[in-house]
Amino acid sequence: MEAAPPGTGRIVRLLALILRIALGVVFVYAAWVKLRTPWELFALSINSYLILPMNWVEFVAHTLPWVELVVGLGLIVGLWLRVWATMASAMLAVFFSLMVRADVKGMEINCGCFGPGELISWKTLLRDGSLLAGALALTCMSFLQPRKKA
Amino acid sequence: MKLLVCLLAALLPCLAANNDIDKGKMLGSADAPIRVEVFSDFECPACRAFHEQVIPLLMREYVLSGKISILFRAYPLPIPDHRYSRQAAIYSTAAARVGKYLEVSDALFRNQMTWAMNGKWWDTIASVLTPAEQKKVQELAKEPSVAAEVQRDVDLGQQMRINSTPTLVIWYRGKDYIFPGPSLGNYNLLRSLLNGLR
Repeated sequence: MEAAPPGTGRIVRLLALILRIALGVVFVYAAWVKLRTPWELFALSINSYLILPMNWVEFVAHTLPWVELVVGLGLIVGLWLRVWATMASAMLAVFFSLMVRADVKGMEINCGCFGPGELISWKTLLRDGSLLAGALALTCMSFLQPRKKA
Repeated sequence: MKLLVCLLAALLPCLAANNDIDKGKMLGSADAPIRVEVFSDFECPACRAFHEQVIPLLMREYVLSGKISILFRAYPLPIPDHRYSRQAAIYSTAAARVGKYLEVSDALFRNQMTWAMNGKWWDTIASVLTPAEQKKVQELAKEPSVAAEVQRDVDLGQQMRINSTPTLVIWYRGKDYIFPGPSLGNYNLLRSLLNGLR
């Protein structure tokens, strides 16, 4: 078995720091944009995916921005990183799959990612795909790193 | 200087929205606290559904009581299937100047399938106008100011990043809320939004 070259651990830690801050800021920004506009506009974006009944649409529109805010702040603070990184990966996996589904079905709808006015396109798919890849990498790193003792 | 340009760019849609109000294309009182601007295309089926199903609800629940006003804005989509949209927008805007916008837009939406197929949009428009009004509308439609008004609506929609029709821009206390794809199916969301703004 080969030993990792010296300094590899530091590079991984630095990469993890950059990823968690970047993802944290994106999550907080996404939450802030949704929370500063009436919830009905976000509900409208969710409804346009045609996957949930209206009462669930309203529930998700009310709760999701707060979950995004908590996950984003959790990532930035860095405590219990495994929890927040896993949650971010799961959420981004769901968002990305829904956007791919909408794109494949030819639905010309707003993605609802950062407020209204952004149609799903290859750019949004590339952006969300990159965020998902980053979140998955961060999740792997958080589980590979030894847990910090409180 | 750069900051000033950015500020002007940000304020432009707001200023345009406040100054370019065609009273002939407005329902309700101009003093209503909420103004709902409808960006629509006469050849768009979803716009027809909105016009026939949602506008009457908005009229009954909000316009008649003076809570909102509705301003119709032309937004002919630049797609090959919508060959006559811009002409329909220009002639309906001309009709607004003889006080017949609503009659003309009702007729255009009601007979959308027919004129969009055979291209006889003028027959549909003429059917709700008297001979004198027909003559006047045809004259007005040739005036550059009418085409310019339609283009102003299109430019405003593009500035506001409107990418589908129908789309509502709801103005309340100087703030705008963009509501794409209003329909009977999501009317409860629109109602909740309007009630929340009061």
